[in-house]
Amino acid sequence: MSREVQREKTREKKKKIAYFDYNLLFLVIFLLSFGLVMLYSSSAYISANKYGDDAYYLKRQIRNIAIGAVMMFITAKVDYRVWKKFGWLAYFGSFFLCVIVLIPGIGSSSHGSSRWLGVGPISFQPSEVAKLGMIFFMAMLIEKFPRQMGDWKTLLKLLAFSIPVVGVIAAANLSTAVIVFGMVVCMLFVASPKYSHFVIVGVIGVIFGVCFIMGAGYRASRVQAWLHPEAAGDKGYQTLMGLYAIGSGGLFGKGLGESLQKLGNVPESQNDMIFTIICEELGLFGAVCLILLFILLIWRMMVIANNSQDLYGSLIVVGVMAQVAIQVILNIAVVTNTIPNTGVILPFVSYGGTSIIFLMTEMGLALSVSKGIKLESIE
Amino acid sequence: MTTKRTRKRKRPAVKMSRTMKMKLMVLFSLLVFCLLGLIGRLMYIEYTSGEAYTKKVLSLQSYDSVTLPFQRGEIVDAKGTVLATSVAVYNVILDCSVMTSDEDYIEPTINALVECFPDLDKETLEGYAKDKKDSRYIILEKKLPYDQIQPFVEKQDAVDDDGDKINPFIKGVWFETEYQREYPFGNLASSLIGFTSAGDVGTTGLENYYSDTLNGVNGREYGYLNSDNDFEKNIVSPQDGDTLVTSIDANVQSIVEAKIKEFSETYKDNAREGDGAEDIAVIIMNPNTGEIVAMADYPTFDLNNPRDLSFMYSEDELADISDEDQMNILNELWQNYCVTATYEPGSVQKPFTVACGLETGTLTTDMTFFCDGGENIADYRIRCVNRSGHGLETVEKSLMDSCNDALMQMSYLIGPENFLEYQSVFGFGQKTGVDLPGEANTSTLVFDLDTIKTIDLATNSFGQNYNCTMVQMASAFSSLINGGNYYQPHVVTKITDSKGNTVSNIDSLLMKKTVSESTSDILKSYLRSVVSDGTGGTAKVDGYSMGGKTGTAQMYDEETHLRKKGCYLVSFIGYVPYDNPQLVIYCVVNQPNTEDQAHSYYAQNIVREILEEVLPYMNIYPDEELTGKNADLGITGNNPPSHSFTNGAVEETPQDDTIEQISGDNPAETTQTQSETTQPEQPTGDTPQESVEPEQT
Repeated sequence: MSREVQREKTREKKKKIAYFDYNLLFLVIFLLSFGLVMLYSSSAYISANKYGDDAYYLKRQIRNIAIGAVMMFITAKVDYRVWKKFGWLAYFGSFFLCVIVLIPGIGSSSHGSSRWLGVGPISFQPSEVAKLGMIFFMAMLIEKFPRQMGDWKTLLKLLAFSIPVVGVIAAANLSTAVIVFGMVVCMLFVASPKYSHFVIVGVIGVIFGVCFIMGAGYRASRVQAWLHPEAAGDKGYQTLMGLYAIGSGGLFGKGLGESLQKLGNVPESQNDMIFTIICEELGLFGAVCLILLFILLIWRMMVIANNSQDLYGSLIVVGVMAQVAIQVILNIAVVTNTIPNTGVILPFVSYGGTSIIFLMTEMGLALSVSKGIKLESIE
Repeated sequence: MTTKRTRKRKRPAVKMSRTMKMKLMVLFSLLVFCLLGLIGRLMYIEYTSGEAYTKKVLSLQSYDSVTLPFQRGEIVDAKGTVLATSVAVYNVILDCSVMTSDEDYIEPTINALVECFPDLDKETLEGYAKDKKDSRYIILEKKLPYDQIQPFVEKQDAVDDDGDKINPFIKGVWFETEYQREYPFGNLASSLIGFTSAGDVGTTGLENYYSDTLNGVNGREYGYLNSDNDFEKNIVSPQDGDTLVTSIDANVQSIVEAKIKEFSETYKDNAREGDGAEDIAVIIMNPNTGEIVAMADYPTFDLNNPRDLSFMYSEDELADISDEDQMNILNELWQNYCVTATYEPGSVQKPFTVACGLETGTLTTDMTFFCDGGENIADYRIRCVNRSGHGLETVEKSLMDSCNDALMQMSYLIGPENFLEYQSVFGFGQKTGVDLPGEANTSTLVFDLDTIKTIDLATNSFGQNYNCTMVQMASAFSSLINGGNYYQPHVVTKITDSKGNTVSNIDSLLMKKTVSESTSDILKSYLRSVVSDGTGGTAKVDGYSMGGKTGTAQMYDEETHLRKKGCYLVSFIGYVPYDNPQLVIYCVVNQPNTEDQAHSYYAQNIVREILEEVLPYMNIYPDEELTGKNADLGITGNNPPSHSFTNGAVEETPQDDTIEQISGDNPAETTQTQSETTQPEQPTGDTPQESVEPEQT
């Protein structure tokens, strides 16, 4: 009898364990829906002109989101601890993909850098794969020596592991490299008990970054365009048009679909610059609401990371959180001309194939981690 | 339980430590801090540059929205002859940023431009391509007519047999349409029609008075996204302005202007340097409708080039005239004398005085007056034309002789109340409301009951001492001879839209009844006698029954408040034919350029010369036997014109228009009566009493 009772209690306990972070799921769904509306608004004119179909970008985005939804469903279902075994594979796989995309003839280029890899009918950006790969790899490594994280040695060793991948990505796409590196640093920061190390790493990172930017001609001219967008001609054009769009929105904007700047003035209005169109149409109010939504999203992920049943899960979620947050910050910083222009998309909102699929995959991971949370521990 | 224990034993799950949670919190805070910073940045942009950027965004749209100018309406005469019209002209615009967007475009475009527009030179255009790369709006040529831009348009649009463009690299040139006002007749009716500045702002004349009617509404071409989000160009067509149909007859007008010109040129530099007179103006009016058939003054100016003074002054002379003075000269030139000028009408007032007397019953047709050559009123002696006196005068004969003495005596009978009432009935002192700008306000230039004195009444009775305008006089006179119907004078009879559909008819407006039918008939016959047997004989057109009245008014010097010696404004007003008058003509010659100005035949000669050509043209047929009267007269009164300028009129009494000033022994020869509301200066007690009113006929 007592065994029976015991079993009953265990079953009850197990039921309680079946937590799932619906908050996060709904935030993601909301952001995606909002993104689709804004994508249609900002791209209709351009796609109608270019492809004769005003919903060209919208349809492709919906297709990508559908693929992403499948991926999210799979990763949310699968126990995230499975991925621990693939840590090294993810590392070398990312490195390999990022190297071969640089080989002329294999990678296809856009905007002067080769970033795309075609496999049959599918083409994708290896750098997006690398983001996910690095999350798996770093989480696995850090989890191996959680107590040595306070040492310089361990920290540098772990950082050193990331350098080849980051370096290879940087060769083609600096902004993605910055995101990946920032993400790695964030994961290490959380895992390490020290602060001082990161101040030093930060300073070195800034110096390194400045030298890197000055080293390449096209990057230096971007800095000029950043400081004086009005005088930079074509280079500052995108920035300037984006600023005009933001400035002209006012408090509540011109109204959904009423943007004038999307009518061919803001280049990439459906892509990197979509935030400017949001500002123009929905105003400061709409823009702040969107930023608050992102804050809510990363707050949810912080909660999941804090309550994860193991460190590995926590680190994965921290990685995802860092990546989303850095991308949002960089994107908005670029369109407001706070930092020099570089191509970073706004997660969930901008048009993008690989990025949206992998973002949703990562959200699936976070949801998967949330499933392992014991409800009791939340209180 | 067992499984749990096994797992614990196997490997204790490493969880987030307290430090890690702390650091995650720090990381989160950092990220949120960054995001809040960016919100601040957004607010900063909005706050500092919001307005400027909003304007910038709107200005960026301008290329999507092009103004399509309307075409200003035409002004046509009664027969449909176009007096003023707008023609499309084209500005050649270079969009340099388009031309320089590809190296391949620059040379073919510049070559085509140089080839098709001879005024452009290659170096300048290449300079633009080099230095003004981003300029989107460079005006290369202005106001070219349609056929001058055609070579370029053809070159640009030329296609070969396959439908491909032959010159695909000509880029960045476009044409901007605007309308330019053109006046096919140049000088004809210049001060009446008026001109525009900037194409559609009426400055003077009808162009000014009817500017809003003539103007249309600009159209717009703009791009927008339709419901399918296709970019579409939408065109809101401009609404062209309405056309004015006037009662002016271009042929009559040109006859009138030709005769005025002939007169002026004949008398040019005769007694003094300058034109044939200070002012010469003629109105021809239809007395049964108030429609103005012709309205001319001298000199005219070229409406197509209204600021050109070269026909009046040589280049050297112009260089000596300051800009301000030139502007004053132009302003005077642009004035329509018939409407804006005021003057003392002189004896053409006499029929109105008689009509007033007959209407009020203070005069009867059988009354007689004795003219002894003048009247003594207060301290003045006011002389008649004939200083020795006309003797016994009937009412009719007093008009025929233009006897001042008789008229003054009539004014005593009429009295100031009646006289002033009829001044107002005839519209003196009031605006006629003619549809022309700048009509003079004469309300302060006539007397009222409080200010009028006997001497004023006496002088007013023969048209001195109050001011009127030509259009006032012509309108009042029309009512006097058409049975007493006062029509508002007007020029525009109909407004049509650009396609010729009538928008509105401007009917003749019967303002009031001035005199009774019978008074009108009496006056008509008296005036007929004036022309047939009186002072107006010179104006008589042989074969036509007509009536009229002459006028010779001595000028008043505004500065000295004295009468100007030897300066006269002479005039003639008349109607044709006697039965059912079809036209009224009024001619004013201000200070004819002769030694002896005081003769109304200067005006009469002009009137006769005009009517001789206008009457047949207007299908008014001779209704009298030809007598050969005035057959040998020309514009000067003699034929061939001689410069002795003697009056050739056979019947005219020699003393008729001759004016003699007061008694020769009086040093203060001229009178001090004035034409403004201010009272005449009374001579002080010790001054001789002989100062005299100006005589006039």
